[in-house]
Amino acid sequence: MTQFLQATVYGLLEGGLLALVAIGFSLVWGVMNIVNLAHGAFVVVGAYIAWKLNEAAGLDPYLGMLAAAAGLFAAGYVVQRCLINLVVNAPIWMTLLLTFGLNLLIVNGLILAFTADFRAIHTGWASDSLAFGEVRVPYGRLAGFALATAVTVGLVLFMARTRIGLAIRSTGMDRAAARLMGMNVRHVYAFTFGLAAALAGTAGAMLGTINTFSPASAAGYTLQSFVIAVLGGLGNMWGALAGGVLLGLVQSWGGQYLSGTLVNAIAFGVLVLVLIVRPSGLIGRPYYEARAEA
Amino acid sequence: MRSALGIALVTLAMAAFAVAGCGKKSGGGGEQSSTEGGKLKIGAALSLTGSLAKEGALTKQGYQLCQEKVNKAGGVKVGDKKLKLAITYSDDKSEPDTAARLIDKFNDDGVKLVLGPYGSPSTEAAAAAIERNGQVMLDSSGADDNIFSKGYKNTFAVLSPATDYVAVIVKAIMDGAEPKPKTVAVLSADDGFSQTAAKGGVAEVKKQGLRIVAQESFPEHTTDVSSALTKIRSKKPDLVLGSVHIEEGIAIVKQSKELGVKPAGGFGETVAPPTPDFQKALGDSADGVVGSTQWTPQVKGKDAVFGSAADYAKDFESRFGAKAEYHSAEAAAACLGLVLGLEKAGAADPKKVRDAVAGLDEQSFFGPIKFNERGQNVTKPMSAIQVQNGEVVTVYPKDQRQQKLQWPAK
Amino acid sequence: MRAWLPWAAAALGLVLLALGPTYVLYDAEQRTLGSVFMFVVLAQGWNLIGGFAGYPSFGNVVFFGLGGYTTAVLMVKTGASFFVTVPAAAAVGLGFAVLMGIPILRLRGHYFAIATLGVAEGMREGVINLPGLTGGNKGTTIPAVGEKATASYPGNTGFYFYFLILAVIAMLVVWGVARSRFGYALRAISQDEDAAAAAGINTTRAKIAAFALAGLLTSVAGAIYAYQQVTIYPDRLFSVDITVLMVVMAVLGGAGTVIGPMIGAVSLQYLSEWLRDNLTDYHTFVFGAIIVAAVLILPMGVVNFALDAWKRRRIALFQAVRAYRL
Repeated sequence: MTQFLQATVYGLLEGGLLALVAIGFSLVWGVMNIVNLAHGAFVVVGAYIAWKLNEAAGLDPYLGMLAAAAGLFAAGYVVQRCLINLVVNAPIWMTLLLTFGLNLLIVNGLILAFTADFRAIHTGWASDSLAFGEVRVPYGRLAGFALATAVTVGLVLFMARTRIGLAIRSTGMDRAAARLMGMNVRHVYAFTFGLAAALAGTAGAMLGTINTFSPASAAGYTLQSFVIAVLGGLGNMWGALAGGVLLGLVQSWGGQYLSGTLVNAIAFGVLVLVLIVRPSGLIGRPYYEARAEA
Repeated sequence: MRSALGIALVTLAMAAFAVAGCGKKSGGGGEQSSTEGGKLKIGAALSLTGSLAKEGALTKQGYQLCQEKVNKAGGVKVGDKKLKLAITYSDDKSEPDTAARLIDKFNDDGVKLVLGPYGSPSTEAAAAAIERNGQVMLDSSGADDNIFSKGYKNTFAVLSPATDYVAVIVKAIMDGAEPKPKTVAVLSADDGFSQTAAKGGVAEVKKQGLRIVAQESFPEHTTDVSSALTKIRSKKPDLVLGSVHIEEGIAIVKQSKELGVKPAGGFGETVAPPTPDFQKALGDSADGVVGSTQWTPQVKGKDAVFGSAADYAKDFESRFGAKAEYHSAEAAAACLGLVLGLEKAGAADPKKVRDAVAGLDEQSFFGPIKFNERGQNVTKPMSAIQVQNGEVVTVYPKDQRQQKLQWPAK
Repeated sequence: MRAWLPWAAAALGLVLLALGPTYVLYDAEQRTLGSVFMFVVLAQGWNLIGGFAGYPSFGNVVFFGLGGYTTAVLMVKTGASFFVTVPAAAAVGLGFAVLMGIPILRLRGHYFAIATLGVAEGMREGVINLPGLTGGNKGTTIPAVGEKATASYPGNTGFYFYFLILAVIAMLVVWGVARSRFGYALRAISQDEDAAAAAGINTTRAKIAAFALAGLLTSVAGAIYAYQQVTIYPDRLFSVDITVLMVVMAVLGGAGTVIGPMIGAVSLQYLSEWLRDNLTDYHTFVFGAIIVAAVLILPMGVVNFALDAWKRRRIALFQAVRAYRL
């Protein structure tokens, strides 16, 4: 029984972390119909920023998280405004290839700058855990889960209550109409992408305190983001959280009761199954079902 | 019609390209052409980029140090000439089939003597090409016994085989632990090398009379081993053995702390503990972990090129500014094996070198170098280390140890 | 222009290529050209489903891997000769494409791309988890080299020809499809699937047929590749990098054209080799930069760009950007 409980707890917490990684990816895909293959690379960049600041200036990783978010927001804004906006209307393999090329650039840039060594950010307490009988709840992951929930709530409020949030949502629904309403769509798109990058960076900094990372970790984060975005419905913030948690649980249970080597296979099986059966999302729906493209 | 024209143009262009391409090859095919102008050309296909870039860089350092030392002493004595080593490096991107292609390229350039790539998969792929082309390869890091079970005759591994990696940890613990552990849990990544090492470890555990309470596997390159750890936690093993690489090794220790897996004795892992990454990533948690290594600066033996293990360590540190560890040492040893073979053969002819290397029986800074009929160096024992207070300390074999084994680990 | 002239030139080119290994090409060059031919096949296979039909598959490597493992498993477990395994690999590729296509070709756009990627990655994990059959992550070795070999090894020259023949077949297939009603149906589907269906085209059948054809070509390429590598691993045979390479080659060459993917395959392979030889430390970085630049400058592909430039007598470099930007 304790095994099941432990697997459940761990899966939940892991799921929260995964959701944090995927939420930006889902946002960009849902609002702009862009699949950002470099998303995992943004996550790793965030981790490196927090790590470097911690190593060089002794900056607390939670402050480092803010720095990573700010830096990546700026970078994401520029990338979208100057690069991806150039091919937004093109057939989808162009944006896919563009973001793939970007991914290569970022990952290899990281290798050149930091070498392929494995890094981790030290906090004294991240590996300690609360104990409920035999079941352990690690502090670091608990903090990650709390952050994921806070971020999701924050995003939902942001989207519903602020002007720019409403602008993002309406641009995502109907770009032409948004333009006619006088919105600067280029800016909105760039802002959204920057926001997603900032979220990725935050997730990366958080992950850096819990897991080890290296430039090669980027691909795994991108792939998991795919699964979660599809599970939760594109652009749906609560869906991303729920999708992440579901994926974390399924992987954790699968690893516990089936062979440990099947964990990855399970993730992909889930993805394909959901796409075949209910592409609009298992746990949620895309935030706007019928999107009109201009 | 348009497309036929296009096809025509491109086919002609490719044909022209192909013809033009061969003009730049130097000599090609000849057996003695690997020696030119007092230099002996040697090929090394390494993972300079890709997932094994880190280890590839360390391997390159070992080869470089060997070349520099040999050339400073005037070169290798081949017959009645002294030739300087000239190692050409190519990047195999950590991809086995690229490694094989690069071996063929070396062959085209007339380079018949090759120093191995990093890792068992690339070495295995390269060994197949070496065998076909009649080249000779000194393997520095492919320890998997599978490579040597295919009847290849031209590849020689200076490092101890994979089956020793976990077994030596068990031997070290049983030799120095008080009280001795009774139960063991074995965790393994699912790649060939880790599985072979785990099998060797299990055999040694049984030989020593310990009981195996759990055996779990997980995917290679994972950073999440929580499922395996949760499964073994209730069995309360005295010792947790990990047949893994760097990432999984770090994950085991890290997540054991999170999940409350506290073996009464401690952890023993392959590959990860001697590396600086391990200690940097884990901080204090790394203390007490036992690891196996192909080489420590306490290894007994000396040779004419590097001197003793301590001399090698000193040279490495002054040349590269980092502590010498076993990845570069095994690379330097492979290069040394080639040099010794050349001197013994008295010629750069691959067949003669191959036979000379096969018959080597030498001492070196790396330990004994002697190959069995499959090309493995079974006479060289591995060493065991333990991380004590942030330092990597040799604990086994007894006559080479710097400190006693700390047991229980904490 | 005489109609037979281009054909004669093509035939001459082929003859030169065929004579190459015997008279001028070295081993490693044969190997490089062999891999060029292999990528021609892969790119053309993708071209059928991604270029002509407009369904951008990101998982074609699954056929590559399945074909390769079929050959390897058959040769290792049953000692079959390579030529027996080729039709088996082809059948596996074809069958799996149909099986996979039926549910997945109902999806469109990004969803289709992600689904194919998921299938490819999932199959790789599946192969890893059948160690008894496939050797799992340990890899499996075809007994063709060394003392214990039971099969013969064709050598670099042999593989050069296998790949060359397959590449010629692939080119002929695509050429044939392009001028047939089938190709017409595919192009209609890629432009407006609903209109095509309304015009009476059985879109499901056409899509699945294109996918099946792609699967067939790709899996035979995989079979030859596995034989050439001798020892194969799931990570390599199902690698996402191979998919991306074939997509980049087809797209930058010109998706939906007959010679585009061939030009893309040839130039990108040579470019990749050249970069690796001359910029060893930075080559992947530069490759990424080149992809980004090429997508911005030449997204319609070299062939379409050239045709456009020829027709309108002008070079419009960033025309795509002008057309597609926000």
